[in-house]
Amino acid sequence: MAQIKRIKVGMASCGLAAGAQAVFDELKKIAGDIPVVGVGCIGHCYCEPIVEVETDSEPVFYSRVQGTADTAQKILALSEDGRFEIPALRKKNEMVFVTKLAGRIVPCDIEEYKANDGFSALAKCTVMKPAEVIEELKKSGLRGRGGAGFPTGMKWSFLAAKQNPEKVMICNADEGDPGAFMDRSMMESVPYQVLEGMLIGAYATGATKIFIYCRAEYPMAIEHLTIAIAEIKKAGYDMLPGREKPLDIVIKEGAGAFVCGEETAMIASLEGKRGQPRFRPPFPTDSGWNGLPTSINNVETFANIAPVLNYGAENYAKIGTPKSTGTKIFALAGDLKNPGLAEVPMGVTLAEIVYEIGGAKPGTVKAVQTGGPSGGCIPADKFDVKVDYDSLKELGAIMGSGGLIVIGNDRCMVETARYFLSFTHKESCGKCTFCRVGTKRMYETLQRITEGNGTEEDIAFLEDIGPKIRMGALCGLGQTAPNPALSTLRYFRNEYEAHVKEKVCPSLACSALVDLKLNPENCIKCGLCRRTCPVGAIDENFVIDNAKCIKCNSCKELCPKKTIQRVPRGEGFNSNNK
Amino acid sequence: MSEIHFKIDGMDRVAQPGDTILKAAEAAGIKIPTLCYNQKISRTTSCFVCVVKDMKTGKFLPSCSACPSEGQEIDASSEEVKQMRRTALGLLLSEHSGDCEAPCTMACPAHASVEEYVRAGKQGDFLKALKIIKQRIPLPMSIGRVCPRFCERDCRRNIDSKPVSINDFKRLAADLHYDSYMEELPPLNGKKVAIVGAGPAGFSAAYYLRLEGVQADIYEKMPEAGGMLRYGIPEFRLPKATLRKELAHFEKMDVTIQYGKELGKDITIADLSKKYDGVILAVGSWSPSSMRVEGEEFAEQGIRWLENIAAHNWKDLPNLGKTLVVGGGNTAMDCARTAIRLGGDVTIVYRRTRKEMPAQAIEVDEAVEEGAKLELLTAPIAVKKLENGKLALTCCKMQLGEPDASGRRKPEPVPGSEFDLEADTIIAAIGQRTICPTEATATKRGDISVNADDLKVDGFENVFAAGDCVSGPATVVEAVAAGRKAALSAVDFFAGRKHIEPPVFNVSRGHWSSLSTDDLVYLHEVSKADRVEPEFIPMEQRKTTFTELFPTIPADKIMKEGERCIECSCTAKGECKLKKHSETLGVKPDMFKGERSCGKADTRHPAIIRDPRKCLRCGICVKICGEVVNKHLLAAMQRGFGTRIGTAFGSVLPLACTDCGKCIEECPVGALDWKTKE
Repeated sequence: MAQIKRIKVGMASCGLAAGAQAVFDELKKIAGDIPVVGVGCIGHCYCEPIVEVETDSEPVFYSRVQGTADTAQKILALSEDGRFEIPALRKKNEMVFVTKLAGRIVPCDIEEYKANDGFSALAKCTVMKPAEVIEELKKSGLRGRGGAGFPTGMKWSFLAAKQNPEKVMICNADEGDPGAFMDRSMMESVPYQVLEGMLIGAYATGATKIFIYCRAEYPMAIEHLTIAIAEIKKAGYDMLPGREKPLDIVIKEGAGAFVCGEETAMIASLEGKRGQPRFRPPFPTDSGWNGLPTSINNVETFANIAPVLNYGAENYAKIGTPKSTGTKIFALAGDLKNPGLAEVPMGVTLAEIVYEIGGAKPGTVKAVQTGGPSGGCIPADKFDVKVDYDSLKELGAIMGSGGLIVIGNDRCMVETARYFLSFTHKESCGKCTFCRVGTKRMYETLQRITEGNGTEEDIAFLEDIGPKIRMGALCGLGQTAPNPALSTLRYFRNEYEAHVKEKVCPSLACSALVDLKLNPENCIKCGLCRRTCPVGAIDENFVIDNAKCIKCNSCKELCPKKTIQRVPRGEGFNSNNK
Repeated sequence: MSEIHFKIDGMDRVAQPGDTILKAAEAAGIKIPTLCYNQKISRTTSCFVCVVKDMKTGKFLPSCSACPSEGQEIDASSEEVKQMRRTALGLLLSEHSGDCEAPCTMACPAHASVEEYVRAGKQGDFLKALKIIKQRIPLPMSIGRVCPRFCERDCRRNIDSKPVSINDFKRLAADLHYDSYMEELPPLNGKKVAIVGAGPAGFSAAYYLRLEGVQADIYEKMPEAGGMLRYGIPEFRLPKATLRKELAHFEKMDVTIQYGKELGKDITIADLSKKYDGVILAVGSWSPSSMRVEGEEFAEQGIRWLENIAAHNWKDLPNLGKTLVVGGGNTAMDCARTAIRLGGDVTIVYRRTRKEMPAQAIEVDEAVEEGAKLELLTAPIAVKKLENGKLALTCCKMQLGEPDASGRRKPEPVPGSEFDLEADTIIAAIGQRTICPTEATATKRGDISVNADDLKVDGFENVFAAGDCVSGPATVVEAVAAGRKAALSAVDFFAGRKHIEPPVFNVSRGHWSSLSTDDLVYLHEVSKADRVEPEFIPMEQRKTTFTELFPTIPADKIMKEGERCIECSCTAKGECKLKKHSETLGVKPDMFKGERSCGKADTRHPAIIRDPRKCLRCGICVKICGEVVNKHLLAAMQRGFGTRIGTAFGSVLPLACTDCGKCIEECPVGALDWKTKE
């Protein structure tokens, strides 16, 4: 048997949520001299808790580990049971580049980071001229990973060109899109890698102050960054060459407003004002935080800096597509087998991401929503698209931060649009008319359609007001808010029309347009359905009264003979329609 | 920095660095509407009503915040740009809730400023009240007595009590000051108009013509002026001495009246239209409708009967004996009540129920009080002359069926229910029709056919028509409104432009029947007292003489009644930029529908009201308090549609507030305002 050197338990938020703490505790109890450590996330969230056993030869992985003494024993014995292999299809498609260290090292241990090439990029940079560093980045073709895809090197060059003695760099860690969690994972798993990117950024641009604007809902990310900043200061990495003062690095916890992910709103929030966007220009580079030249970059962008410079800009530029170089981390969620994070080179197809990496079964997927609530949905018949910033835009969606929600066949696209609009209209900052009122009116209209009260005028209204909100809203939130409705209208207009014309939800998802019906042929009268029904809608003859039924599906899910189905409204019994 | 060269609406312009597109547009003489823009503060960029289009990028830019760039081409006036502005305004209106105008004013066919004259009356300034009334109602003595009070039907006090007795303000104001008040008249401009018919529409037209410097000659076929007021409405409702006093005023306005001139006999439209610069036909609706039953000739015709009695000044009258009045309208009630005063034993025969009677409920009530009996669900079939010299009305019982075109349930005969009613007199008062002059074209209904926009008579250049002869039998206040419109149309015609009625733009919190007292905004405490009621003369006198029903309610009581008024209209009336721009761009308040802004008006402060339902969230007040006053007492709070402007801990206004009112001055709508109205 191979010699065990160290046991690593995935203890990022996803691991902890799956029960990693108990696993850690059990292993610790019996490990004796073998170190048991908590690490971050390797991206395979679907099979957490994950344990990696470092040995003198190849490491051994275990997935879905139980927090029991028995399991701990087995792991120490390097049992064949419960071993984890990266699925072959995923291995074929993914490219671990930025996430190479994620989940493999102890997040807050500066020495371990250093031992893995940590701060070597910074060291390389500080012997170069700042302008040369920016030139390297320009050559790499790296584009901002926050969503808009602005070339990072160019962005930095703008800030570098400013002659102010004080300049500001902000790390946008206000990851707010539902279904996106790559930034959290990077901050939790490799805080030093993220910070190294910032240090290089400050060196290259001349920034004297760094803010990390992190949402308060990410306590572990904040904790890890706080520790890491203290370690960096202790080690003196914050004293950049040629500077008289160490770099000022401040973590600012966001109070939960989605709109603060927008750069001007974020700056306002950092200034202690209400998080509200303002009209640009002036762009932050000209007048940002407290009027100082300011550059804002996303967490994943910063995480890319050190690996890109270590790998060499020219080599990096060969990864991906000519206009979208490198890799992108996608957060996979929704109706698929393997939710989690996956890093892929730009240019892989959506089909590869959804089916091969995500494990969704071809034929079961209707669409994906990319870019969160600001993004659009792409139907399954367009999954052969090679994913990059520009191709997704052409399809009416956006890359966004990389959230990718898989929508199964049994989901209603109108309801999907309604869900996203319910999010954005609530998260509008309330300042500009098109966003505050326009998205509210769109939401109300979608709500009406899913409730079966929509009309054809409602569809026409959505198609009229949507583009106007896009053109008229002040900031990115409002400008992109209509996307879920407009893209579902573009690809799934038939579903909208069925709702308003025939009052039918083709996916049988919208509860207002659905009846529940029990097929008595196979019923064994076990009574489970009657006992579970929270509203007493099923009578002694096992007839479901849809006048009472709240469409919770409890009976349908419990029925051992699968006798209960959702059917179009009117096909089930309803005591009001006698 | 150097000058910036760019184009706006095709014009080459030069801007200084830092200039906004808005400023550059103004310099080029292009007007761009704004709501959230305010020179005193840093830009807010909130309303997006000021958008323009960058023609090269296709992007829409808020002109208040965007600066022109070198070589830029700006479209500031195209239909596409206007449509974006309309959309922004429409969205703002869809969340905006308030009352531009009070519902009473909106309900008044003449659009008199009801709230304003009631307030003047409350303050005891009845001369001012009269001035306000006469802006729209030139016959306040008559209308103050006979108006069916559309305003009161929509009064919000109907929610918790009875409506404010609005019409009695008009009557009192006119009674007190009619003689002494004289309009400021511009010099005559030489234009002359002939008006045919000395009724309410004709006098109203003459009035508003004179206010525009145009002199009017009225041609009247009867020996006295007043039209329906003189010959239709009985003495007890409108004493003719009062009417004469009211009409005498028009002599002071250079109006001449020639009596005994009947259109088609003594005068023709063709002649008048040549002799005068313009002609206004206001001949009324004087042809009684037929009952279409056998023996109809034995019955009196309601309006002719009233006219005849009026011509005899309600003197030397026959005793009517047992009298049947057929019909359920106001003319029928006037006939019945006149007949009672002439000693008649009156029964009103009507084919539907009391609820469906077109007469005003109060008229029916008063007729019944005076002794009229009702024979409802009864339709006449024939009139017979009996051998004993009496008359018999053969009737048939009716039952109500399905609703008809008017929305009222259609009466249907009950088979075999025929019966006879014996009477000395039968008066058929089932309606009137217009006698369309032979020179004019008649509508299907027989009225004069006109263009709806400017009331120009079809087929003529300079002939207009107004009043009952266009609308069919209606009310005095509607006739007065139409007379004004015809006069203004004529004036516009003289000036070479087509008259266009200014659009009535109004945001409303809703009809009182859909509201509760919680939905209302009270600027001040409203009197809980009961509605003032008139003191009728004794019943015996009512039944036997033509004395006016009740004297004018005295000033002290009317002033008290004024305290019952809620003063529903917006404090920012006349100053609201949202309304102004919506009118200019033709945006309707219901362009988009959906949930309105929530929250309750904060009236706790003694002098200031904050109404979140009117607020546009433009943030001007926040910045004025912060950047100009340097106090920072207001702030935006919450997010999304629920965003609102508030104070720390929801206080009325913080202690540090000195009521300087700077925020109020800049509010583009009435969301922040002084409570006092003028």
